[in-house]
Amino acid sequence: MKSQQSETRSKGSGIRGLISNFKFQIFIFLLITCHLSLVTVSDAKVYIDITSPAIQKLPISITAKGAPEAKEIESIIINDLDFTGLFSFVAPEVPGAEIIVRSDVDVSLNEITVLWSIIDLVENKEALKKRNTASRKSIRAIAHNISNDIYKFITEKEGVFRTKISYLVSVSPGNKELYLMDWDGYSPIKVIPVGLTSSHAWSNDSRFLIYSSERNRAWKIYFFDINDFREIVLFSSNGLNLVGNSSPRDEIAFSSSKDGNSEIYTINKDGSNLRKLTHSFGIDVSPVFSPDGSSIALVSDRGGSPQIYIMDSNGSGIRRITFEGSYNTSPTWSPDGKWIAYTGMKDGKNQIFMVKSDGTGLRQLTFNGNNESPSLSPDGLFLAFDSDRDGKRGIYIMRLNGDEQRRITPKDTKAMAPKWSPYFN
Amino acid sequence: MKKTLIVLLMIFAAGCAKKHLPPPQEPAVQKETVKKETVEPVKKEFVKEVVEPKEAKLQESAVIAKAEEPSVLKDVLFDYDKYNIRDDARPVLDTVSSFLKKNGTINVVIEGHCDERGTNEYNLALGEKRAKAAKDYLTSLGVMPARLSIITYGEEKPLCTEQNETCWQKNRRAHFVVTGK
Repeated sequence: MKSQQSETRSKGSGIRGLISNFKFQIFIFLLITCHLSLVTVSDAKVYIDITSPAIQKLPISITAKGAPEAKEIESIIINDLDFTGLFSFVAPEVPGAEIIVRSDVDVSLNEITVLWSIIDLVENKEALKKRNTASRKSIRAIAHNISNDIYKFITEKEGVFRTKISYLVSVSPGNKELYLMDWDGYSPIKVIPVGLTSSHAWSNDSRFLIYSSERNRAWKIYFFDINDFREIVLFSSNGLNLVGNSSPRDEIAFSSSKDGNSEIYTINKDGSNLRKLTHSFGIDVSPVFSPDGSSIALVSDRGGSPQIYIMDSNGSGIRRITFEGSYNTSPTWSPDGKWIAYTGMKDGKNQIFMVKSDGTGLRQLTFNGNNESPSLSPDGLFLAFDSDRDGKRGIYIMRLNGDEQRRITPKDTKAMAPKWSPYFN
Repeated sequence: MKKTLIVLLMIFAAGCAKKHLPPPQEPAVQKETVKKETVEPVKKEFVKEVVEPKEAKLQESAVIAKAEEPSVLKDVLFDYDKYNIRDDARPVLDTVSSFLKKNGTINVVIEGHCDERGTNEYNLALGEKRAKAAKDYLTSLGVMPARLSIITYGEEKPLCTEQNETCWQKNRRAHFVVTGK
């Protein structure tokens, strides 16, 4: 481990090279936004009402032709939409589809252009037509964009297909690197290569990663700007400093043992207005703001074992919400603020549970192996977590009803602690 | 928000640039040179911030420590999910205390560790509690607190990787590392 560290040190250019590669990829990512709407629909029709309790799958046919890349684009779009469980896919030559998505892919030296349209077969009309252009290397991004547009057209809701997941990769004991990838596990990018990175979170605008790393026997909280590819220290003190998450007002919740005992604090993202919210003898850790910023969920052992508590965001009114089991940690909120997902120990294994913020409605979401670190997608329909069910720990995603559990990181990578990003605009 | 960060970055950058700029020998330097010199150090500083210069020192001392690590500094063991000092750990800490009193020039880092069960973040907090419990005990025996620093690694640096109680017990430990004089 030490030799690796010194190697990194002697090669400052290594980090710089990595960062410039990262910049390049972000650049590509941003390019994608240039698309053109050729047909705008005024009489919006909701094909699938995802809030309805019984959803009928929409029969859809997706087909792409043109350049050799067309097949790949077609399969990415199908994979995206399939994960939602809202569609049944019909081959183009077979009758039965209510919607057809046709794409024509054109590739030039540097660019890829997809001209695509949605045809409503029930009303027999072209309902949407768009052209997306991007750098040739951005096939996946361009396909995810089209998936998002299709999903929005059908459901009138934002899709998660352009979101990212940050996570940790364990390289060797005591070394964990911070990575980013697309929501489906593709296009991984190493963000922070040095030291031991632990808790991490996204800023609300998806522009910053906030994380805690141990370097030279100090646990500090850092900000990484993924547009400017720069790291700055947000908070540093004696003891353990672990970031929780960010409020809608860009306050950061974290735990710090700067005064000797691990307590919950908040601080503005510019480093001002440090506030101490808890004053207990035991461990208080893993604070997470609710989506509206009014409450903070946390883990505390003040009752004798680690349990989930909720308090107002000024630290008042603390109450316990988990009572089953003697080890409940890693709380995270659902985007509507009604539920807390967390890791709880049951029969000697870690499993993922959800409970309403008033402590009722407990349900278990995972059953095989050890499953930890839940993080919900920004639409609240999907869950990312890590699991050792197939051997080495890796990142999985699933629908909240338990369907479609997929491993999205490679089998030979020890990956953990996924954090699903907010929407990328 | 964006502006705040930019301002923050600029302040940071300015601070770094100042530190590393050579004292201006000739005030009337050509503009382009000035520009180059101010930009370069900033970039370097960001890279340096990632790997601090202190590291070299620490690593050297760690190497020394390994070679000379006194065998009296045994690990202090803990119960699952607990950070109280067990009865069987008291003699261990008594020995550490007398060693430190005899060797007044030696300082130690107490590392707090956990077994792999439980979750990483909570285990970091738990590991710190263990290191602190060991430190508080030694302080109560009269060792100067300034000679004892603590760091937690939670479950991140296990001694033993099998999944059984024998192994987990080895990992639930406060470990002493001599940091030099």
